[in-house]
Amino acid sequence: MSSAAGASTSHHGSNSMEVPAPLLPLLSILSSLFLNLSSVFHRIPGSPIILRYIKSSYQDDPYRSLLEVLLVAFAIRTIFKGRTGGEGQGKSFIKFSEKEIDELVDEWRPAPLVEELEESDIQTLSSVPTIHGPGGTHVKLSAGGKSVLNLASIDWLGLVEADQMKQTAIDTLKEYGVGTCGPAGFYGLLDVHLRFQSEVAEFLGTEDAIVYSQAYATTASVIPAFAKRGDIIVADRGVNFAIQRGLQISRSQIRWYAHGDMEDMERVMQQVEKERKRKGGKLTKKFIVTEGIFENDGMMVDLPKVIELKHKYKYRLMLDESHSFGMIGAHGKGVTEHYNIPASEVDMLIASMANGCAAGGGFCAGSSVVCSHQRINSSASVFSASLPAMLATTASTALTVFNNQPELFNALQANSLLFRQILNKLEPTPFSVPPCDPAYITPSESMPPPAVTNNEALIHIPSHPQSALIHIFLLNPPSTLQEEEAMLQDIVDETLNTSQVLVTRARRLRGQEGLEPEPSLKICMSSNFTKKEVEKAAQALKQAITKVCSKRR
Amino acid sequence: MMGKANSRRSTSSQASSKLSTASRSLFSKSSPKASASGAGNSGTSESPVSARTSLLNVLRRPKSSHAITSVTSTNASSKHGQSFDSFNEDDYSDHGSTVASSYASSIRSSWSSRSSSSEDIAKRYENYLETPFVNTTTTIKHSEYGVCTNPNWRWTSHWDPAEPVHPEEEPQPPYYILLSTYLSYLLLIVLGHIRDFFGKRFLPKAYAHLVPHDGYAALNSDFDSFYTRRLKMRLDDCFSRPTTGVAGRTVVCYDRVSHDENNTFQLTGTTTRALNVSSYNYLGFASSSGPCADVVEASLHKYGVSSGGLRHDTGTTDLHEQTEKLVARFLGVESAYVCSMGFATNATTIPALVSKGCLVISDELIHASVRFGVRISGANVRAFKHNNLKHLESLLRESISQGQPRTHRPWKKIMVIVEGLYSMEGTLVPLPQLLELRNKYKFYLYLDEAHSVGALGPNGRGVCDYFGIDPREVDVLMGTFTKSFGAAGGYIAGTKHLIDRLRVTSHHMTYAEAMSPAVCTQIIATMSAIMGVAPPLASPPALEEPNDASSIVSRASRTFNYGPVPSHMLPSFMKLPQVVLNGLDGRDRLRRIAFNSRYLSSALRKLGFVVYGHRDSPIIPLLIYNPAKMLLFSQMMLNRFGADKTPIVIVVVAYPATPLITSRIRFCLSSSHTKHDMDMLLRACEEIGTLLDLKLAKQTMTVEQVIASAEELVASTHV
Repeated sequence: MSSAAGASTSHHGSNSMEVPAPLLPLLSILSSLFLNLSSVFHRIPGSPIILRYIKSSYQDDPYRSLLEVLLVAFAIRTIFKGRTGGEGQGKSFIKFSEKEIDELVDEWRPAPLVEELEESDIQTLSSVPTIHGPGGTHVKLSAGGKSVLNLASIDWLGLVEADQMKQTAIDTLKEYGVGTCGPAGFYGLLDVHLRFQSEVAEFLGTEDAIVYSQAYATTASVIPAFAKRGDIIVADRGVNFAIQRGLQISRSQIRWYAHGDMEDMERVMQQVEKERKRKGGKLTKKFIVTEGIFENDGMMVDLPKVIELKHKYKYRLMLDESHSFGMIGAHGKGVTEHYNIPASEVDMLIASMANGCAAGGGFCAGSSVVCSHQRINSSASVFSASLPAMLATTASTALTVFNNQPELFNALQANSLLFRQILNKLEPTPFSVPPCDPAYITPSESMPPPAVTNNEALIHIPSHPQSALIHIFLLNPPSTLQEEEAMLQDIVDETLNTSQVLVTRARRLRGQEGLEPEPSLKICMSSNFTKKEVEKAAQALKQAITKVCSKRR
Repeated sequence: MMGKANSRRSTSSQASSKLSTASRSLFSKSSPKASASGAGNSGTSESPVSARTSLLNVLRRPKSSHAITSVTSTNASSKHGQSFDSFNEDDYSDHGSTVASSYASSIRSSWSSRSSSSEDIAKRYENYLETPFVNTTTTIKHSEYGVCTNPNWRWTSHWDPAEPVHPEEEPQPPYYILLSTYLSYLLLIVLGHIRDFFGKRFLPKAYAHLVPHDGYAALNSDFDSFYTRRLKMRLDDCFSRPTTGVAGRTVVCYDRVSHDENNTFQLTGTTTRALNVSSYNYLGFASSSGPCADVVEASLHKYGVSSGGLRHDTGTTDLHEQTEKLVARFLGVESAYVCSMGFATNATTIPALVSKGCLVISDELIHASVRFGVRISGANVRAFKHNNLKHLESLLRESISQGQPRTHRPWKKIMVIVEGLYSMEGTLVPLPQLLELRNKYKFYLYLDEAHSVGALGPNGRGVCDYFGIDPREVDVLMGTFTKSFGAAGGYIAGTKHLIDRLRVTSHHMTYAEAMSPAVCTQIIATMSAIMGVAPPLASPPALEEPNDASSIVSRASRTFNYGPVPSHMLPSFMKLPQVVLNGLDGRDRLRRIAFNSRYLSSALRKLGFVVYGHRDSPIIPLLIYNPAKMLLFSQMMLNRFGADKTPIVIVVVAYPATPLITSRIRFCLSSSHTKHDMDMLLRACEEIGTLLDLKLAKQTMTVEQVIASAEELVASTHV
């Protein structure tokens, strides 16, 4: 330090000759300031040690000192740069003057907030029916209108109209009110939620379950709660919209396999394994994501095979049973019961309380580790108000119905079969009644549709024979999706107008789905229909399809 | 169903009994001063005086330079006070007032005199949460919606330009608090790692889900879950406490214990009824009895629980359409649609509004559901510093001038997403300035009113109403029904064109379950209670004004007129009592929450606590910083050691919902709280805050002074 001071004085001295007189006082102030500073520095206890250290290190290893100076400079630069990266940074950043920015701001013309309504949008909106009064098997489409037979509502067991559900809801209302006014973390966790969670876990045979306040959000939130960036998800191409959004949010690596094709699934898994071996790297989480009964076509997953592959390649299984829970199996436990596989084999079993239970909300069943993880890490559980109490209690009541009235499920399947048999006249291949063997897999599960044998065939129904959710696809559709949807809408209107039977077509957000699903008619069977009503509905639909298809030819 | 022994717990644990002796000495120290101030202010609360005279009392006191504004505002409320007075005549002036005032004075004297023992006070407060001081004819339970008839304890929530919307600088804690907070976290982290290190070696079973096993990767990342396992778990007693019944003014919590360091909790079988300052029950509509519950019951008889299926299939009933029309009418916009879940409202609508090539600029503290929606949409996203419009403007200038990254193409559109009232901060969005920016930079404004709708504004219409801005100025209005309306779900509102388009493109409409008819009915009932119902013969005022799209500026300067709802818009089965139909009940609720919010927020500041947010916000965060104090505060509030022994449940919020060091208590106030509840809460904060050293700002009044001058505090324009 003293040598540096010496250098500075000599510098001062050598320059004083040329420096003009007015600058001299400034220089003397500078040098006195420097002397003051150095005396202050010497007064700090321990300063001689630092000084000695710096000196000796400079003498021993000048490069190290240089490196240290550079490090200090870098640290200072980093501190001052701050963390707001991206602002005014980046290679492609162009510097503008304030005036230029003002001009650019004036020039910029944003697109309208939403596009104009297209003709098809207006048609979509006008084709949405409004139910006047209660839902159920018979509904009114206008205030004083005639009631029509309703095959468009999801109500597998006729619980929408059930008096015991209403009574449960009213009893709950008188104790809990309607809303819970808070998320589960903040005094929104009611005893009725806990009760439903333990009941459904016991019903399915899992360790635990967690309730969400909407079925759509359940699926879209459970997936990203576990699958993160860098993880691998093997998913069926035909999964529903909510799963697709969950996959998107997870930012994991998605590997698709052909819809319902177990061989393709194994091929994809082998490929993943191969890549991992080649690249090395650390073990990542691997998930299979699929559905029990597929929302988009009513097909059933080949669960035994999926479980086999899952164990073989060490995957975890996320199974969306939104539609199959309360529909499939002797007690409505879903495809696990149908195949006689313990539900605990499924790592995350996601199901809806709005469909089968005719209440609202959704849940995810699994091990206690899986469920407690979601209570803290699943955004739809943490950041949302909990489910209204009456929806939890009515769902509990629905579980009791599932347990105590298994005959309802028989009636549901009988109705579905009857309906399918009548419509089979329009299908290419004869319909075979499935035997009672739970491991039975219908030929319809192996897409594509079998070779045409019936020359009169107009439609194709890939849905599982036991599925109460029946999708009807046109065999020879028009060339564009719009035309096809318009044609299906014609069938819907025709069925309603001539026979007073309400069916619907599967609604899609075109352009937002991953793999555009084919347009289809959607039929929801219910155990509440009498045999006669099912026959009437099936005949009406058959006639309408024949009429609309023949008109086109 | 679990057993319901509504036993009030006697504070038996050793710790709390030790603390209670400490508190008694604290109270006896401060009480002489308190009695003096109480006597000086007896006019306002003890003798049965009219609203006007008591307000004049307030006005006659020496005032600061802001007197003029406060005069106008109190004048306004005194007018309302009169009308309210006449409506509640039976309750207030006949028998209610005398009972109430004698009760109040007895409490006051017991608090101030040394002679009365804490047992006496405890006895007096024994049924405090369930039995009101006055006899009432209302069918709503006191435990759900407190009886509070004094018309002085009302306020109208509206913007006063003299008060800054957002303070330039948040109050800062002293350095020793910062240091000790950082040290606490350091200690916790070091201890946590030591425990993990030995735990993994000696208790491999407990770590099974954190380490790869059997060819499966760990389900939870060891690193990600560190905070949850080692820091949050210590506080777990504060979170997810199971409750039963209505989360109204009071809530019944199940008592629970943990024998394994909070890994699991066992319910003891007993319950505790506690004062509830945690639920988002802003207008007190969460109730199991009363007119709204009766209407919901009628609807359940008619419609059942579920409408069965998706909105675009058969999920749409006439009730849904009525709800949507009413919501639009309530907000003062053309059209609206409802969604069965509040979180999903944002998550399913934003992707229908923006897409790739669009830019979303949101506040840094925006809710998780917005982030969820933006991520699905694929739009680019930037964040500006909380409520900092200068930063927003610089971001806008940069984004518009630079265009899209790399390609420099202009953005298709820019959407700014803000919340009306921020749920963790209690801060309001500076809407007037934001709209000025909007006119200059041509972005679209998406306003999330999840917490503000119902809770703010003279008509309860949210921040637009609060600032006196035409709601049609905002491009997309979003809000939830969970909070102020005691229902569930959310809405999106705007022009008819926008909503029609969103009905087609929003994910919710096509793929998610419809709202339960019972929830729709609750929304209709509560909204018409706030709006009031116009008799059938009176012609409703026209909402749509022709040709007003020409000038945005002229629209902004116009004050918006919210009228009552015409009775033909309501379902025919809906029968509401007269006091709800004429809108007095709704207006009273709005005034009560406004008073409670402003009172508690101002009073806590006077007591020297560090409080964030706007004084009109019903969300009041009280900063506590040190992590250990969170648990203590929560447990001490529940096991009150103060003389009245009334348990209080509160919410603690910590990282990651807040920055690491600014852990806080969050009070959510409600119309259902009475002024006595606020007084009790203040006393509780005083007891515990003194013990825990939370009064980090300058204390200017004692707690009894604050309680005595409540009306004055509320009327003053600054704290």
